Amino acid sequence: MSKLTRRTFLGASGSVLALAAMGRPAFAQAAEIRHFWWGNPERDKRTFAVIDIFNTKNPDIKVTGETLGFGDYFTKLTTQIAGGNMPDVIQQGYGVLFEYIANGAVVPLDDYVGKSLDISKMDQSAIDAGTVDGKFYALSIGANSHMAMFNTRLFEEAGIVPGTDFDPYGYTYDELAEFAAAIKEATGVPGTDDNTAGYQNFSDFVVQKGAMLYNEDGSYGPTQEIVEEYWSTWEKIRNAGGTPPAPESAGLAGVSDLAQMGVVTGKSAMSYLWSNQLVGLQGLTEDMLGAAMYPNTPDMVPGSIVQPSQFVCLTRDSANPEAATAYMSAFVNDLDMTAVLGLERGIPSQSDVRAALQPKLTDVEARSVEFFDKIQGKTAVLPPPPPSGSNEVEQTFQRLAVNVLLGERSISDTASDFLAQAKAILARA
Amino acid sequence: MQKFFRRNFAGYAFLSPWLIGFFLLAIGPILASLYLSFTKYNVVRPPQWIGIDNFVYMFQFDQRFYKALQVTFQFVVISVPLKLIFALGVAMALDKGIRAIGWYRALFYLPSILGGSIAVAILWRQLFNYDGVINSILRLFGGDGPYWLADPKFSLWTLIVLAVWQFGSPMLIFLAGLRAIPQELYEAAEIDAAGPVKKFFAITVPLLAPVIFFNLVLQMIEAFKSFSGAFIISGGSGAPLDSLLFFTVYLYNEAFSFLRMGYASALAWVLLFIIAAFTAIAFWTSKYWVHYENERG
Repeated sequence: MSKLTRRTFLGASGSVLALAAMGRPAFAQAAEIRHFWWGNPERDKRTFAVIDIFNTKNPDIKVTGETLGFGDYFTKLTTQIAGGNMPDVIQQGYGVLFEYIANGAVVPLDDYVGKSLDISKMDQSAIDAGTVDGKFYALSIGANSHMAMFNTRLFEEAGIVPGTDFDPYGYTYDELAEFAAAIKEATGVPGTDDNTAGYQNFSDFVVQKGAMLYNEDGSYGPTQEIVEEYWSTWEKIRNAGGTPPAPESAGLAGVSDLAQMGVVTGKSAMSYLWSNQLVGLQGLTEDMLGAAMYPNTPDMVPGSIVQPSQFVCLTRDSANPEAATAYMSAFVNDLDMTAVLGLERGIPSQSDVRAALQPKLTDVEARSVEFFDKIQGKTAVLPPPPPSGSNEVEQTFQRLAVNVLLGERSISDTASDFLAQAKAILARA
Repeated sequence: MQKFFRRNFAGYAFLSPWLIGFFLLAIGPILASLYLSFTKYNVVRPPQWIGIDNFVYMFQFDQRFYKALQVTFQFVVISVPLKLIFALGVAMALDKGIRAIGWYRALFYLPSILGGSIAVAILWRQLFNYDGVINSILRLFGGDGPYWLADPKFSLWTLIVLAVWQFGSPMLIFLAGLRAIPQELYEAAEIDAAGPVKKFFAITVPLLAPVIFFNLVLQMIEAFKSFSGAFIISGGSGAPLDSLLFFTVYLYNEAFSFLRMGYASALAWVLLFIIAAFTAIAFWTSKYWVHYENERG
């Protein structure tokens, strides 16, 4: 008898599991919501904690979290689109988002605004950034900009004082070459990563040179001269002796994993990332990290932009959009939840959330906020969203730049090859 | 018809798990990919029929397609013979009737079980890293190793070594083949004063030819399809400078990084034809060098 009941129980729980796996609500009263994001260990920890808070506060909704590294995130999402089983709530970045909107994978939120979704406290600029053709699609979960992160201990040991020996909010490539070499000289650690294959730095450089990454008509902006000048600028820095060996840098071309960044592995004293990654990166480093803008040319034309770092979006596969948007709403508004999230995804877009965070900022978060204050007025205007194919152009840049690093081909040769390929990619997309 | 059905029902019922799997998981996707290879399909929007455009683009404009072919051919042509020679060598050493042969067999087969796995690919990365084990050993002897993985001159060789290291399954088959060669032949040759080299080429190789052929075809197909090592070691992209751009890695990138499922399907079909062609060539040449015992000739 006891055996029979056990078997019945197992069978029943098995079918519940099967139902749950199919994404249907296992119990009529609990709406199941799946939230999928890309992250790092620090972000995952905070986001799972936030989901627990939400589930406790809302017994009628059961949110489950799924996470992957950035490199695999969109691959998995793609297969889920094909299978028609995207999670209800997904994280999106500025850029790829617009392809998803155009293709209908991400759906408008207008029907839920003022009901399950509260955006009354959100900055107008953040609402605008998530609006396409008059429809509101994406909840910004933080503002972001390019940030160079440096190991303050190594800088100190070399006697390089930020603010005195160089202005973290306005230094030139020549100055960088100089102090990077000085750091290598004093500490044995190269002073800076080599950004020859760094597309983020390149995109800044293009704007610093007065061009646009993508012209109004969607064509590629950089000219042969700009690409060549960018690579020779970094060649100069490399020749000054302040970068890791070129093959080392070549091995990191296109790598986005925080754990492999030079400032984390100790192979360089400065790495170039996004400002919101400061929190995650500090979590992986013993030494205190300092923040600086990317280097600039002597003309100091602003090259970096402030843009939404990430959005949360509702997908067309969500079976319960009311519950999903209620969760999204809490994710950006609920003060208990946003207190846990902090600034890890960027500076929040809600004035009351920022005010609540202000008094209890951690040390590293305070550095983030200070950085944002200091770069005001030193950033470029937000360009229109990049056209489809831009992701492939970026990867092509990273791949071909290795030619320059390893000295396999000349700079001018590689530059013209890159521009030809970029053109072909955009024509084909 | 009804009678046929009633008589064979039990048989088909027992076959059904396999049949369902075959039609649903093999034939279905194969036909779907054939259809997709003539379309433009980015997953999010429904496929669009574009005729043979994918193939035209591939052969006419796609430089990375040719690069991927070159890398794959290079890998197949170098790794397969090396692996077979190595496997045969070890098999002959083990054929001498050593004690505890079972242990040795298991030991040598181990890499083949591990070899295709992600864990070993990651381990390989650590071994050949600039600060990795191999270079540490070289430094002990005063040398300074190169950047094995970041230098396009060396990167493919790390994968060839990985492939050769997984010599276990051809070795086992060779071993079985060697056992089947009658000892009298060797004894007769020894009486005629044949040395080991002569014995190897006059007895072992011809009698082992069917087994060599079998291993060659199998390993060649496997090498063409090789994916996980190159994917992990190159960080998914075929880097550095596309020197690890195996055909399968390129296909994967086209499909999942750039969402060109149609084009990736076309690539998959081209790979199928390449493998089929090479297998056919191998079979055709086998007439001239592979002889079976039951043949009259």
